Amino acid sequence: MTKHLVLYLLIIVILVSCTQERQACLTPKIASFKIECVHEPTDTSTIPIDTALPNAVFGCFTSNGLVSTIYSLQSVFTLSLSSVSDTCKWLFTTDSLKHSFDTLVFYYQRQLQFLSNACGYAYFYSMDSMHTTHNNIDSAFIITKSVTNDVKPTHIHIYIHPSF
Amino acid sequence: MTLNQRTYIYIFILLFSVRGITPVLAQDTTDSIDTTVKKDTVIPKIIKKDNSGRHLSFGVDIYHPIINNLINNQNGHEFSVDYYLKNDLYAVGDFGYGGSNVDYNDLKYTTNNNFLRVGLNRSILLRNDSTDWDNMFIGFRLGGASIKRSQALYVVTDTLWGNSIGSQPGKNFNAFWVELNLGVRVQLVKGLSAGWIVSGKFMLNSKSFQDLAPLYIAGFGKGDKNSSFDFDFFITYSISWKRKIKHDISTTEPKK
Repeated sequence: MTKHLVLYLLIIVILVSCTQERQACLTPKIASFKIECVHEPTDTSTIPIDTALPNAVFGCFTSNGLVSTIYSLQSVFTLSLSSVSDTCKWLFTTDSLKHSFDTLVFYYQRQLQFLSNACGYAYFYSMDSMHTTHNNIDSAFIITKSVTNDVKPTHIHIYIHPSF
Repeated sequence: MTLNQRTYIYIFILLFSVRGITPVLAQDTTDSIDTTVKKDTVIPKIIKKDNSGRHLSFGVDIYHPIINNLINNQNGHEFSVDYYLKNDLYAVGDFGYGGSNVDYNDLKYTTNNNFLRVGLNRSILLRNDSTDWDNMFIGFRLGGASIKRSQALYVVTDTLWGNSIGSQPGKNFNAFWVELNLGVRVQLVKGLSAGWIVSGKFMLNSKSFQDLAPLYIAGFGKGDKNSSFDFDFFITYSISWKRKIKHDISTTEPKK
């Protein structure tokens, strides 16, 4: 009798566990936009290596004002593109103690993407072009045009002035 | 591996080897005694005649309605008909309807669908006699559903740049899948049976509705998955009748 009771309770628990309101979203919902600061160690080298910046600052103007983040000793920075516009502007400096900022403007196309019923919709992007000022930045290149929720690819390479 | 385990395995293999060899030895002995049988004698193959009558079953699934009471954003009702063909084969048709109601903070829509599945079941257990309709079976189905989705409202959540709101227009589309089934059916009282089926289902055209896959497709399962595992518990009512016996009587008169 006790065995049967345990079995019935187990069945009820299994059935009730099916009443979950919504499944958990297990995939990233924000497209990952990765910028890597690099340099080439010699004039003849072709493979860039990471440039770790002491206290890099990235900031953007949103509807809530300026939002900025300080990164200590990093060369790879994960940002995001605006999901409400086809362009967005980021401010950047290599060191928080410096007062010379650069502006990075990104132009892209938004693509609405259905992830799943658990996660809903997200925006993916296709990069068109970018413009920068050159206070700290020597040059910048688009490496990967497609910006999705895949966190692996690097999208932009930034070459910093050697004198920074 | 210890010596004891190895010994047991050898004993096991030996027992079954002896069991397998014995009839061969016996046959050899018989052949050596019975020398009157000619080597080119053709022994007619014995064909077991299927004397089963006609058998038609109507079933209703009672598992999904119970689950639907517990999961308030989906519903599905399934019915089935199967007919005994011959040689342990059954023709099967399943049909039903259902849908889903998605009402999340960032996604809202409803779907409704009808579905039809056709296929075959094959009994994998030997029957006691021609009136024994209890069986365990394997089967396959080809399934199709006609799905109607309402306009979907969505919100793309972005805590940095701000949320964006939009809508996707309503859409009608079809889904097709194949199923592999394993099931059991047991007669409770004369004519009335109960049983269960477990099914592995594989969507064939999931790319055609990737813009917004329905939360639930009655007859298949979760619409945003390429494969689905399902369980049915059903009650069936069966009717049986005898086959008509064909007489091979020639009605044509010989020409004069």
